Amino acid sequence: MSIGIAPPATVLPATHANPPRSLWSDAWKRLRRNRMAVASGAFLVLISLFALTAPWLPFLQDPTLQDLARGATPPSPAHWFGTDELGRDTFARVAHGGRISMLVGLVGTFVSLVIGVTWGAVAGYVGGKVDEFMMRVVDVLYSLPYIFLVILLLVFFSKSLLMLFVALGLVQWLTMARIVRGQVLSLRTQTFVEAARALGAGTPAILFRHIVPNTLGPVIVFTTLTVPAVILQEAFLSFLGLGVQPPAASWGTLVSDGAKVLALFPWLVIFPGFAMSLTLLAFNFLGDGLRDALDPQGRRDGN
Amino acid sequence: MISFLSRRLLLMIPTLWVIGTLTFFMMRLAPGGPFMSEKDIPAATKTQLLHQYGLDKPLAQQYGMFLWNAAHFDFGPSYKYPQQQVREIILEGFKVSAELGGWALLLSLLLGVPIGVIAAVNQNRAPDHAAMALALAGVSIPNFVLGPVLVLVFSLTLYWLPPALWRGPETRILPVLALAVSYVAYIARLTRAGMLEVLRQDYIRTARAKGLSERVVVLKHALKLGILPVVSYLGPAAARIIMGSIVIEQIFAIPGLGRYLVIGATNKDYTLVLGVVLFYASFLMALNLLVDIAYTWLDPRVELR
Amino acid sequence: MYGKQRPRCHFGGIPPTPIHPAFRMPSALLSSRPVNHSRPFTRIALVALLATASCTPPARDHRYFGSVTPAKGQVFRFNNGAEPEGTDPGVISGQPDGRVARALFEGLIVSDPQTLMPLPGLAYRWETSADGLVYTYHLRPGLQWNDGTRLDSRDFLYSWTRALDPATVSRNASLLYPIRNGERFNKGEITDPTQLGLAAPDDSTFVVTLENPTAYWLFLNSYYTFLPVPRHTIEKWGVRWTRPEHIVNNGPYNLGYWKQYDRFEFVPNKSYWDRSAVKLDRIIAYTVDDLNTSTNLYKAGVTDWNPSGYIPGPFIPQMRPFADFRQGRYQGVYFYSVNVTRKPYDNVHVRRALNLAIDRLSITRDVLKGSREPWGRLTPEGYPGYQGAPQVAYDPARAREELIQAGYPGGKGFPKLNILFNTSEDHRRIAEAIQAMWKRELGIDVELSNQDWGSYLQATTSLQYDVARRSWIGDYLDPNSFLQLLSAGDGNNRSGWGDPAYDALLKQAARTLDPTERFRLLTQAETMAVESAPFLPIYHYSTTELVKPWVRGLYQTALDYHPLKSIWIDHDWRRHLPRDSSVHP
Repeated sequence: MSIGIAPPATVLPATHANPPRSLWSDAWKRLRRNRMAVASGAFLVLISLFALTAPWLPFLQDPTLQDLARGATPPSPAHWFGTDELGRDTFARVAHGGRISMLVGLVGTFVSLVIGVTWGAVAGYVGGKVDEFMMRVVDVLYSLPYIFLVILLLVFFSKSLLMLFVALGLVQWLTMARIVRGQVLSLRTQTFVEAARALGAGTPAILFRHIVPNTLGPVIVFTTLTVPAVILQEAFLSFLGLGVQPPAASWGTLVSDGAKVLALFPWLVIFPGFAMSLTLLAFNFLGDGLRDALDPQGRRDGN
Repeated sequence: MISFLSRRLLLMIPTLWVIGTLTFFMMRLAPGGPFMSEKDIPAATKTQLLHQYGLDKPLAQQYGMFLWNAAHFDFGPSYKYPQQQVREIILEGFKVSAELGGWALLLSLLLGVPIGVIAAVNQNRAPDHAAMALALAGVSIPNFVLGPVLVLVFSLTLYWLPPALWRGPETRILPVLALAVSYVAYIARLTRAGMLEVLRQDYIRTARAKGLSERVVVLKHALKLGILPVVSYLGPAAARIIMGSIVIEQIFAIPGLGRYLVIGATNKDYTLVLGVVLFYASFLMALNLLVDIAYTWLDPRVELR
Repeated sequence: MYGKQRPRCHFGGIPPTPIHPAFRMPSALLSSRPVNHSRPFTRIALVALLATASCTPPARDHRYFGSVTPAKGQVFRFNNGAEPEGTDPGVISGQPDGRVARALFEGLIVSDPQTLMPLPGLAYRWETSADGLVYTYHLRPGLQWNDGTRLDSRDFLYSWTRALDPATVSRNASLLYPIRNGERFNKGEITDPTQLGLAAPDDSTFVVTLENPTAYWLFLNSYYTFLPVPRHTIEKWGVRWTRPEHIVNNGPYNLGYWKQYDRFEFVPNKSYWDRSAVKLDRIIAYTVDDLNTSTNLYKAGVTDWNPSGYIPGPFIPQMRPFADFRQGRYQGVYFYSVNVTRKPYDNVHVRRALNLAIDRLSITRDVLKGSREPWGRLTPEGYPGYQGAPQVAYDPARAREELIQAGYPGGKGFPKLNILFNTSEDHRRIAEAIQAMWKRELGIDVELSNQDWGSYLQATTSLQYDVARRSWIGDYLDPNSFLQLLSAGDGNNRSGWGDPAYDALLKQAARTLDPTERFRLLTQAETMAVESAPFLPIYHYSTTELVKPWVRGLYQTALDYHPLKSIWIDHDWRRHLPRDSSVHP
């Protein structure tokens, strides 16, 4: 099959000479034109700010204040999202829960992105024994019983946010690595890569300037799909004792606790669920916007 | 190809050894041991139990025994279910999990790939938005919420389908659906992304320029490459889906393999955990090998060395 | 079966949810959670959530929860709970395991299905010596195993010796400790089985000599550890003798089918001595460990009985109005254990302060919505003639005084207290409530730490905790079943507490024949323990179960034990209903 020369503009010497800043500023310009992406970004900033400032917001009640006699009441003017079974204000718990969940979602996803993309790209590009070894490491990590990994983390280290991230980071990048490697395997023999190589670009430059940008579509999609997975995984870790410590809560623990009383007190799953889904939706639109903005092809068309 | 295959198959042995060894020692490091319970067991009984399972021997010797037995695909009896061999538990459970997972996998591919293709072909138009909204709903409703909702609607309100158990074809529907939905979403999203990358490539333009119908271009030329991310994702995903979902098996009371890892881990049932982990690992690696072979088939430029 | 039924659209449907098996106690009884009465919102929200479900018009029988169509014939279907670890009566422990064993085997003595009082089983009569030490059982003539092999007193000699043999690794061997030399044999201190107080002088006579007179001995005899097991089969197949293809048994039912984590099926045993009393043609015992799923199966009419412990706590108040729901006292107590080997919990005033600052009524009424009773001592209710220690009351003022006496006025200088529990929604809810109470009343900062089952057991047995959740379910109807827990060095003590005076009282009671005096001594011991507060009692367990109205011969009992032999299906149930006591407690 005949392949035309080099779709990405980045291969052209002229672009090569350009500082990368122009690529990013171009992308930024295009992103700003995407209304959904901007709205989503604004929503994410707002909800993050809201979660971060939750302890100081005057209209929020104390999320740990119990009123045992008035447990599990439906939404009312006094409690907008109702109360949980110990009589705590669900609105306040959702607001506070957002802090840990957003943080976990972002950090977990970031780890997945950085380690997963690098690992997968290097394995796919270098190939041979290196690829073999790196992918077997991924297989090993996939196969180890996660529950023991977490228990051991708890045994040997004290509970902390760092350990939570370590526990999330241990597994979240594995699928990403496999996806990126698959893409790179297909890209590395393409003509634009060979052209870049012929022009004397070093391996890291080829990888991160030429190959990785071309995997961005699947990468960004998978990244946005990782966010809810990480948030829910945190609920599982909390279950094992790592993660949020009661009486604090996260969206993940709120949703998984609420699911158990779905038919009785649906507000306990609907509101945290909505908060999570809206955030996820915003991440997705932002992700799609980013993808379009960073798309080398789109860039050329835009020029 | 033959040499590639045989090398990869051979490589599975050291990988399995690493996995088995790490799991073996991780379990020993975790607090608590087998045969602990809320009610105390007399010391003499405990000693006897440990002796019966060779747990009173030095750790190195236990490890050696484990390696020797594992090499013979023999993990011995389960500690928690002593009248059963680990091998029997795994095979019985796997039959069920594989059926459940197989249906779910088939369903998610049959739904996910077409949805993704339609979305990509209609990028930024109504079908695209509709398909992606659907996919997003699929990922953001975790299966431990979806399963109960399905049961509430179809079993306890409409009384159409049984709420649980694994007996006739009618008991398959809800669990397969609950298990498949999030995978449909992942596959649709990844297909769309992969297709979008490919559809813009020059060879597709060339194909179009040659006057091939859009249908042929999309299905014959673009799909093969566009589906690459899905194929990468499928290796681990298929392993997970076919080895059984703890959540779905629990909700629908399905006698699959998924729950045994957790049961084994909780009870420090060393033999059961090792058996399940090694079985899962072999399965995963076999699937990943298949995926790598699929790359060369889907994209002839990929060479496996 | 599905679809024909058109029940009303009430909203008791329970979505099953995953409670990891990993994180549930074996045979755990769930406590319940608060419930409110806001149906309108719930309905609206549900409709919004589902957007599809249209309610079917109300069916006629609103008195019952879910389907009211029994299966055809004499078939009884129930959820047996978690997968039994085994079915070898001499080895097993746990309720699901025991239910299977007692369907397949029968011992010398069986329990009355209503009162659990000892009734003749394989022994048609028995005598007790005047000093209460020697029990002589007379076996029925012509007993046999279901493979036609003769069953006589030597089978009991073998079975009970085997249960005590440490090589058998019986989990419940301690129940046979009243037998002379039983404890020493089981602990490996003596190895000669002929020294045990067991004898089979002839085929139909079995004589047991006890160490001390044991008031509850006959109760113990109906427990599954005392069931006979077939020597010839065990010697042939070893540990795998209980597999369906090998098993030989003697009870009312035979094992018809078994699949792991799916179900057991039982069919009547034709060679059972009391075959005519067995009315069921088939029993299906499902293996469903998820509480919501279990209750859903009951609602859909797939099961006839949802045993106690398998209704999710928060749903209990919703079930209460239905005629097929029943609740009763259960011999179990939920408490917090205090590690007295740690500072400052070695100080009795600290422990008393903690004890007095727990508002038990609020926990059972508000957090558990009345599905459990507040409880202030170690032993549960239900031993006729036993008075028991006075219960600890909620008294925050006195609690603060005790804390001052301990040297921590207003909680000043008190280290951070850690409550340990095995991961479970219900344990966490109670812990959160107590966390708030101790903070409010005593000014003590409390952190909660949940651990997986293995870590939790390790931490409690090795005394690595401050305060830990625990519970105890009685094995037999006697306060001793609970008081034994606190004797110094008992494997189940796990608080580090011990008092020679307490142990002496228990020993003295064990040697006392007069029941009134014995109970007086035990009450005295319990009072000592309650005052020293190495444990903080919280609630008294209840049984909560759902039984379809056509099920007969299945009664609420204090030990939550239900002989399957007496059960039958009344297809004419609608006409018999008002007179039958097994449906309405």
